[in-house]
Order: sequence, then C-alpha cells, then structure tokens
Amino acid sequence: MKHHLGLDYTIPVGDLAPYFEALQAGNALASACGKCGHVAFPARAQCGACGATDLRWKPLTGRAQILFRTDAASSSYALVKFDGADSSSTVGLCNPEQKTSSGRLAVPIGDAAGLWLTLTDNKGEEDER
Amino acid sequence: MISDVSFAGGAMTPFNRRKDGSSFRDWARRATRDALTDAGLQASDIDSLIVASESDFFTLQLNPAALLADECGLTGVAAKRVEGGGASGHLAVHAAVADVASGMARRVLVLGVEPSASHLRGADVGALYSLSFDAWTDGMTGVDSTSLYALSAQAFMARTGATVDDFAAVAVRNRAHARANANAHLQLDITAQDVAASPVVASPYRRLDCSPLSDGAAAIILARTADLPARSGRARFRAAASATDTVRLGERHDPGFFAGKQRAAQLAYAMAGVTAADIGVAEVYDSYSGAQLQALQALGLANSRALAAERDGYFAADGMVPVNLSGGLLGQGAPVGATGVAQILAAALQLEGRYFGRQAQNQPRFALVDTHGGIATSNAVSILEAP
Ligand SMILES: [Zn+2]
Repeated sequence: MKHHLGLDYTIPVGDLAPYFEALQAGNALASACGKCGHVAFPARAQCGACGATDLRWKPLTGRAQILFRTDAASSSYALVKFDGADSSSTVGLCNPEQKTSSGRLAVPIGDAAGLWLTLTDNKGEEDER
Repeated sequence: MISDVSFAGGAMTPFNRRKDGSSFRDWARRATRDALTDAGLQASDIDSLIVASESDFFTLQLNPAALLADECGLTGVAAKRVEGGGASGHLAVHAAVADVASGMARRVLVLGVEPSASHLRGADVGALYSLSFDAWTDGMTGVDSTSLYALSAQAFMARTGATVDDFAAVAVRNRAHARANANAHLQLDITAQDVAASPVVASPYRRLDCSPLSDGAAAIILARTADLPARSGRARFRAAASATDTVRLGERHDPGFFAGKQRAAQLAYAMAGVTAADIGVAEVYDSYSGAQLQALQALGLANSRALAAERDGYFAADGMVPVNLSGGLLGQGAPVGATGVAQILAAALQLEGRYFGRQAQNQPRFALVDTHGGIATSNAVSILEAP
C-alpha cells in the first residue's frame, strides 16, 4: 500500500523570539544568565548552567572559531565557539570548500532554523560566496 | 536494589531490511507469540503490554500500543507506549521492571518494533532522525546523526588518542560476532582495510563504521518468579537506571564524553550493589564504531581504561568482558524500538547459558546492557544477574 503525508508546520518560538528574529537578520543574540553569568549561544530561556530564569539578551559579534569539523559528500558541519559565548554551537557550513578555522554567522536560508556559518580567511575577511 | 523481577522468556524476529512484503504487525505478532512460547505462558497470562517504538512517522500509526495489543491477541491488557529515541526499547523494559517491582502488574510483555528500513526512503528516515536532536538548533539545519556523532567522536579522539584504526577494529569485530547470530542484519566477513576503503559518510566515519537501518521486532516478558511456571535458571534484574545529558553537544563540558551514560551506569552499579569489575558480559549501544568506545569509557569498564583495554582484547569474545556478542547495532542491526529489547534478550539468554548466537565462555554472573538516544542524551543501563 502507498500513502503520502505532506505536513507544513508553523512553530511559535515563544520566549526565544528575540533570538530567532536576530538570527533571521544574521545577528547573534545570546542569552546571559543574571545569576551565574553564563552566556549561551544558541540562546536559552532557562540557564543551562544553574537553572535560573532571569536571563538578559546579549549581542555577540557573530564571529566563531571552529573546534571540530566533519565533512560529508554534500554537507559539512562543525562544532564552533562564538566569540563571547561560554557554550559552543553546532553549525552548518555555508562554504565548506574553505578550510579555514574561523567564520561568521550567516543568515539562514529561507525561514529555516538552525545556525549557519560562513567560513572566512583567518584575518576575518569573508570569501566570495 | 530490585528484589524480584525475573526474565520469563523472550524472542526476536530477524533484524534486516524486509523485502518479503511482511508488515510490522506481522513481526510484532511473531515476536509476541514466540516470547509467550519461550516463557511457557498464554496470552491470557499477560496483564500489561508496553510497546516501544520511536516514531509515529515510521509506523504511520498513532497509539500503536492499543493496536498491537489487539493485533497480538492481548486485548484487555493495560497497554502503553514508551519512547526515548534510540533508548525507547530499553526504557520500555525499565517501565516493565517498575510495573512488576511495584506490583502494578504481574506479567508484563515488552514489545519493541520498528519499520526503520522498509517504510520510508533512507533520506526521509535521516531527516526524521535529525529531529532527534534539538530540532530548533540542530535538526532544522538538516544535520544528520552521523555528523553529530562524528563531531563527538573527534572530541573523544582528541582527548584520548583513539584513532580510526581503533574504530575499525570495533566495526570488524561486531560484524564477526554477528556471523554467529542468525537474526543479525549484517553478518559480514570484513577486515579493517574494508572499513578504511568504504565511503566517507561524515569524517571520520565511513559506511562500515555505521549501524544499519533495520526492520524487526523483539519481545520479552518480565514477572516475579512466583508468578511464572517452574523452570530452572532464570536471569533476574538487579538494576534499571537511566539519566540524561544536555541535548546540545555544545553545552557539554566535553562533547566527546558520555557524561549522562556515566551517571546512568553509576546509578545502576549502586542499585545492584556491584562495581564495574563485577560485570562479565555486556551489550553496549554501538550506533557507530567510535560510540562503542565512548560508551565503554563512560560505563567505567576495564577500570575506566577502555581504550587500552580495547587494544588488549579485553572486550573480545575470548576477553575478560565480551562486548556485543550479538553483533551489536553494527552487526545485529537497529530497528529502533526493538533494539534495546533485543539487547536485554541477548544478555538474559547469555546469563541463562542458552543464547542463540555466540555464547560467552566466561560464565558471567552479571551482564550489563547499555542503550541511548540522541548522542548519549537519554541513557538506559540495566544489570542482570545469572540464575
Ligand atoms: Zn546561570
């Protein structure tokens, strides 16, 4: 038997709306804990380090350094540390042909969530996309 | 400590990619029937069914527990479904242990089933698996399991000095174990060179470092000994513990260390009143070759010197603690909901000396079973004792 299921989701993002709005503009907006000071990017609605809920928004530069990177035939991902963040982040790489170790947050394609990074040369200059 | 929860019996279907037109309902019926036969029980003896199945998108069946109770001749029983990603089957067993230990049920049948291979295209399964991680930060970039496991494995390699050769040795050995297991998906006669020559999926992982998508079902029955027909030599549960880690790799102190698994294992050792040194055989969650080494380290086996022990043959079939004699996920296969149930089945039968595959030769007193979902995010550990 055959069955096709097509589903279009609309997902409210609630307390994280400022983070996602910034992301759509290509800006890195972290959450900073008012109790322990932990800076999380991706942002959190409740501190992952101490559990506190009094979080403030903290703009980051959007620059990141690669910790580990994995390459597949059609996609590449990396674990990176954004400047100013205490946690690290999983990102898709926009220009994996670039083999440098730093990059800058990119605007996600379409309305997609998730983090994308454009690799730059090690002076912080972006290559042509 | 768990005082009186016994393994009554169990069974599994072959794990593979079905090409015979059979359905997941057929596999569930067969596993249930054979488990009842193995336990010497009738369907009417069962008062609780716990189904493990990871995703409605695989079965395309919501409320599968009620459906499978009906399909398997168990109408009337209490029925529920337990889900915890890759750990679903093992967490369902834990729910059954709790049911029996608390007296809420007398004889509980745990049925794990998943059509991971035959219902959907591999790319669609991969897209669904992406949502096993934080969908808002990871899943919607399209990141696949292999890439996230690969990033974790790289952190493990950087800290411990493990190499792709260590990973390949696991990939080869688990497939060799699977060759003695007629139910195994990948009964492969391969070498480390074959692993190194297989295509890169997400560096450092190659095709042969990865477990397959499988179809299949497994069922086990748990009860107090007094509620079971007399027979000699039943394995008993001594511990059933679980623990979680942060969902996002980037929020872990060390993204290469399975801290949630370590916590679950330590809880299990304490619950059983044993130490890691008491474990004589183990079924460990090897979704990827390197993940087996990461798991062994977190479980604290071989005096927490897992990598050196691996290189010394400690975890080989003739070693001190044989690991994944079933073939593991790499060899036996991985129909998600059925995976953890089949791991428990293998461990119980090893302890009872009647395993259908490669039997441990070291007469283990305690078996450890380890399963996880995510990148060791939901962790389940059980310890069983020989009769
Ligand atoms: Zn905090």
